[in-house]
Amino acid sequence: MEYVLIYILNGLYFTSFVFLTSLGLNIILGVMGILNLAHGALYAIGAFVAAWLIGSMFAGMSVLLILAGGLVAAIGIAGACGLLMEISFIRPMYNRTLEYQLLITFGAMLAVEGLIKMIWGGQSYYASAPFVSMGSIEIVGSVYPVYFIFAMVLSFATGFGLWLLLSKTRLGIMLRAISMDREMAQAMGIRIKWFNTLAFALGAGLAGLAGALIIPTTPATLGIGMDPLIRAFIVVVIGGLGSLRGALLGSLIVGETRSFGVAYFPEIELPLLFLVAVVILVVKPEGLFGSK
Amino acid sequence: MDEKRFNRRSLLKQMGLAGAGLTASGLAGATYKVRKATAAENRSIPKTPLKVAVVSFLSGPASGPFGIPGNNSFKICAEEINKQGGIAGRKIEMKSYDEAGGTDSQVKLARKLIMDDKVDIILGYISSADCKAILPLSDELGGLIFAYDCGTHVLMEKEKSPYDVPKYGLGFRTAAHLAIDNIALARYIQKHYPDVKKVAGINQDYAWGRDSWMIFERAIKKLLPHVEVVKTLWPQIYTKDYTAHISSLLSSGAEIVHSSMWGGDTVTFTKQAIGMGLFKKARMAMSRGEPYPQEVGEDFPENQIICCAGTHYFLYPPQDKWPLNKKFVADYHKAYGKYPPYPAYHAYQAIYAYKHAVEKAVSLVGGWPTKKEIAMAASGLSFETPSGILTIGKDHNAREDVLVGETKKVKSFDFPILEPENSSIFPAHEVNTPVGLRTVDWIDSWEA
Repeated sequence: MEYVLIYILNGLYFTSFVFLTSLGLNIILGVMGILNLAHGALYAIGAFVAAWLIGSMFAGMSVLLILAGGLVAAIGIAGACGLLMEISFIRPMYNRTLEYQLLITFGAMLAVEGLIKMIWGGQSYYASAPFVSMGSIEIVGSVYPVYFIFAMVLSFATGFGLWLLLSKTRLGIMLRAISMDREMAQAMGIRIKWFNTLAFALGAGLAGLAGALIIPTTPATLGIGMDPLIRAFIVVVIGGLGSLRGALLGSLIVGETRSFGVAYFPEIELPLLFLVAVVILVVKPEGLFGSK
Repeated sequence: MDEKRFNRRSLLKQMGLAGAGLTASGLAGATYKVRKATAAENRSIPKTPLKVAVVSFLSGPASGPFGIPGNNSFKICAEEINKQGGIAGRKIEMKSYDEAGGTDSQVKLARKLIMDDKVDIILGYISSADCKAILPLSDELGGLIFAYDCGTHVLMEKEKSPYDVPKYGLGFRTAAHLAIDNIALARYIQKHYPDVKKVAGINQDYAWGRDSWMIFERAIKKLLPHVEVVKTLWPQIYTKDYTAHISSLLSSGAEIVHSSMWGGDTVTFTKQAIGMGLFKKARMAMSRGEPYPQEVGEDFPENQIICCAGTHYFLYPPQDKWPLNKKFVADYHKAYGKYPPYPAYHAYQAIYAYKHAVEKAVSLVGGWPTKKEIAMAASGLSFETPSGILTIGKDHNAREDVLVGETKKVKSFDFPILEPENSSIFPAHEVNTPVGLRTVDWIDSWEA
């Protein structure tokens, strides 16, 4: 029993990453109606940029500074990649069917993976200085790394910032208007083309941030974005398409299910997650906060 | 194109005859003359270089810890062999291939290498799935294949003990299989921690992790029947967040935690486990932990039980007593700035096994040998390697002693090391499955 609080905390830590990854996927899906399979590859770009900068370029500098530099650079570069991706080959796909979108974004994923291999080679990149130097503190009788808490705070703060952006600013209101009714928004004079590019770049930047944030705890390797893509997809499906609240609750379910699953049912760590998703979809096919 | 197939029975018969002929040739010469006469026109040693294909992961998560060190070592060894005049006078022309891309594409590559490129030998494979799919091609296509690193214990085993050997006429594995590490860990625990009560396991959720744990659990339950397994965890391969697993291990009260994890997973797990204080409460027993103190660096915790996939360690056999290790370590460190991890030693074993087998066969048949004759010479071969003396069994699987020790920080290295004088060496017969037996049957037959 004494470990239950730590299990909850572990679950929250896992939640924070799934949440951050699903945010970008959700925005792109909500605003543009594009299911972006290349989201994992953008996550990988963030991871490699951060690992490369933190691990080699900035080595020896103040840890917080290099971490901030790595994170900002990852958001910027992943965002720029998203921008280019949208302009070049996502744009012609808007009026096509889902199959085209899946094909083109899957192709983009392979292309970006290839690009990563070309730039950084096939090797793993390690950059654990921020994780190590932040050390650990004691929480309810257990030792817990400070970096995990930092990552949680940053993820949830990003989510809160995004909520503010979408609900309180003019820009956000226009984005939501597009996600609710594209034709009507266009009729009202919103420049959909421009907003599509913006939403895609924003989503890509968020993927980059998620990838960069995990780097101090694990090396950047080829294929690093695959698993987060799958989990983010589960979150979007169970939380409801295009819903921020849904993304948060979906991530919580995924994170805590995993944490308690590993503790009590280790044999079915992964199937358990899918089982929960299936149950939710059977009971509420549109997702927890999705509209019918 | 040598498509002539031969089955096990005919091969055994031929091996028996030719083996007798080979060994007797020095004394009587009759068999030797007959063979020489029948194939006289093919026996001269070709002037062309030997085509050696090397296959290991050059990209992806398994490249850093295994594929690239293995490939590096192959290069160093090939250069050294060429510098010494090649193999029986023929220079090595080595070409490296990437093992990434899945088993299907590897099977295609192996077919191409044997059938189209007509390589003299393939040295390769880290993935057990690749080995299982590709070794049968050796006899099917008539190509020599030496698996150099893959670990599954079932590769050369058959369905039921006892079975006749070898499983593949032209297929070999020039390293011992995963059972040696896990049995050695169990023996080490029996020797040094006989009073341990609770053990746990954390292994990647696929054949490698499942097999490693299964062998360890069987062995430890035989050797220390009072031991209780309090937790078995199966993280997905390439997991990035082990917090849930680490808390679960902490709450289980395990004193020793077995793990066969590898690569970035081990580094990630170790760093997160340091952050969460696991090493203050439990001791890891890592079946293939040898590369990771060097990978992780000075943060790697002390007093962790580490196994070396044999006796593959840059400090063992001690360099002053075994010059071959000294030279190998120096050459590797000079070229790549690191001490060779165990896959580098495995690569040495593979390429030199081929060299010694060819040279033995050349000396016995008095000319350039066929692939079958090279295989016959390789079976039962013993030769010196940087890790000691390696023997290849009649089942075409190598047998190795095992070094198990505990990490210790010392002034002379910037990562914790295993001190050979404070480590345990388990001789081959204590940890390697006897020829013709299945590993699980062998362990089950131990007296408690």
